[in-house]
Amino acid sequence: MQDYEVEFVERGDREARFLVRGITPAFANGIRRAMIADVPTFSIDQLRVVENSSVMFDEQIGLRLGLVPLTTPEGEFEIGDEVTLALDVEGPSREETTETVTAYSGDIVSSDELVRPADDNIPIIDLKAGQRLEVEADAVLDHGREHAKHQGGVAVGYRHLQQVEVVGDKGEFADDEPHILRGVIEDDGELIATDEFDNDLTERYPDKELAVEDVPNAFVFHVETDGSMTVEDLVVRAVDSLRDRADELRESVQL
Amino acid sequence: MELRVIEKEPTMISIEIAGEDHTFMNVLKGALLESEGITAATYDVNPEQSGGQTDPVLTIKTEEGVDALDALEDGAQRVVDKSDSFREAFEAAA
Repeated sequence: MQDYEVEFVERGDREARFLVRGITPAFANGIRRAMIADVPTFSIDQLRVVENSSVMFDEQIGLRLGLVPLTTPEGEFEIGDEVTLALDVEGPSREETTETVTAYSGDIVSSDELVRPADDNIPIIDLKAGQRLEVEADAVLDHGREHAKHQGGVAVGYRHLQQVEVVGDKGEFADDEPHILRGVIEDDGELIATDEFDNDLTERYPDKELAVEDVPNAFVFHVETDGSMTVEDLVVRAVDSLRDRADELRESVQL
Repeated sequence: MELRVIEKEPTMISIEIAGEDHTFMNVLKGALLESEGITAATYDVNPEQSGGQTDPVLTIKTEEGVDALDALEDGAQRVVDKSDSFREAFEAAA
């Protein structure tokens, strides 16, 4: 079997860029699509409204709560599993000088510590004196293809790795135009993200004649998650979902 | 995974794979085209809204002496191997 070569260019918990060599466009695209639509995440799907005296309809609150990313651990849950969460926030009392109290995603209390809001600072709604929001919510595990709120990857894509070669000097009277390039370039085996030189090759190679070429079967993935899992988890789960389907097909064919 | 054979000859198979979309089908097609003994591999899928045949139909043609169903099994195994190999390389770098 062919070997892949993976190298990280940038890495964080929620955002990373990595280069994969030796991968076919079909497989690269399969992994990208799987990251977006086939890796399940928890998201609030049903509300029981105890009190909503805020300025918004129950449905609007429901939509906002659904879009709050929830942490989704691997292997603990199956598709369709539910976790109950609750939110109870009240506006300021009439005596207080503050005008509003904001309900944040951090105010959501989960019945399962494995599944809780990935961020604590997402505003849900402002509450004025006398207003109150109390809801009980069921989060359900489902795929991104069912609803965008279940997508774990929010910005997932890839570009070819590009090779830059200096072929000579620019002519004395050549146009002094910027040469914009985005992504990651390879220069003598060194990987350089183009934002290091303002995405303009003339900043890095002034007055040079350049040849830029895509490197075959080398793709730089840029993956950003909504916080429900790390980039590494997302990639591994996406590849596993492809693997599982292939394995299932192989077994069905054998019968 | 539900399969329905639409047409079957020794060196040709046309099979419906229920519940899949481009994500898996294109990876599978790509892997099949890399395999020895396969002369043609393609799939056809209609959009969800079309109302008719919306499950993908995979068609494989093989060289003389290669059974098309065996070729499909090998192709699926190839995707498994690719995934394992990718995961290994990724986890080594991560």
